[in-house]
Amino acid sequence: MKISTKGKYGLEALTDMAIYSSDGHVSLKSISKRQGISENYLEQIFSVLRKKGILESIRGAQGGYRFSRDLNEITVKQVLNVLEGPLAPVDCAVRDEKPACDHYETCATRVLWEKIADELEAVAASVTIADLVEKYKDSYGSTGLIEYFI
Amino acid sequence: MDRVILVKLSTKGRYGLRAMVDLAVHSGGGHVALYSIAERENISENYLEQVFSTLRKAGLVKSVKGAQGGYTLADKPSNITVGAILRVLEGNLSVVDEDSEASGIGENSIQHCIKVAVWDRMTESLNKLVDSMTLEDLANEYRRMNGKANLMYYI
Repeated sequence: MKISTKGKYGLEALTDMAIYSSDGHVSLKSISKRQGISENYLEQIFSVLRKKGILESIRGAQGGYRFSRDLNEITVKQVLNVLEGPLAPVDCAVRDEKPACDHYETCATRVLWEKIADELEAVAASVTIADLVEKYKDSYGSTGLIEYFI
Repeated sequence: MDRVILVKLSTKGRYGLRAMVDLAVHSGGGHVALYSIAERENISENYLEQVFSTLRKAGLVKSVKGAQGGYTLADKPSNITVGAILRVLEGNLSVVDEDSEASGIGENSIQHCIKVAVWDRMTESLNKLVDSMTLEDLANEYRRMNGKANLMYYI
């Protein structure tokens, strides 16, 4: 059971942006450099996040992205759902969607997969981007300078 | 566009667990032939052969050779956790790739924060859940869904 790179990278990039944007504009290039994610891939991820209303684009020479709402209103669940889909271990555990499986009505294990999906979604819904930023600042200071001195 | 599922379970884990529930429900103390599980669960017998070989080596099922041969659970369904079965079939249950985090090499501070606040907590609640459920729980669910609850009382 693995989280794919898109969800992982997306979350890392947004947290990076949230930490470094307090002083103003953050370019994809700088996020790409700090997080070791290719700029092309970041562009794809951010474009999806913009279409789904988590980010807004800024026009102009310095153009780029900013958050469309408060950081404590953006949950990890929203980000992961947008980039990847539901946090279900198998297709049939996705609520409100009945897949083509002969055993759907009589499959006891589906009950387990739904419970797992609920647990994962509950964890993801309980953490916001603001929480991640706070955690980072508590551990590493507000500027992340530690990284440069090590 | 195909919908992508974020946390994926392999066919081995999915089919293997379903087959174990089937075995728990239908063995009644005796052995169950793989072809009958294959038929009921609509899983290829060849595939079940592989899965049960893995489960046998891990000590979760026992096999008997011969005409009346087949498999039986190695312990009571209430003593076999769903977590034990899934770990045999899937390996460690973690929501992120363990290779990249094994030694912390290349992990920067932001990745570390996300790991602690999100991935580790997800992995923990996942493991807690599967360890709290036994094959007996799923077997009861199977009987309920398949209208076999009454059978329990008459046998």
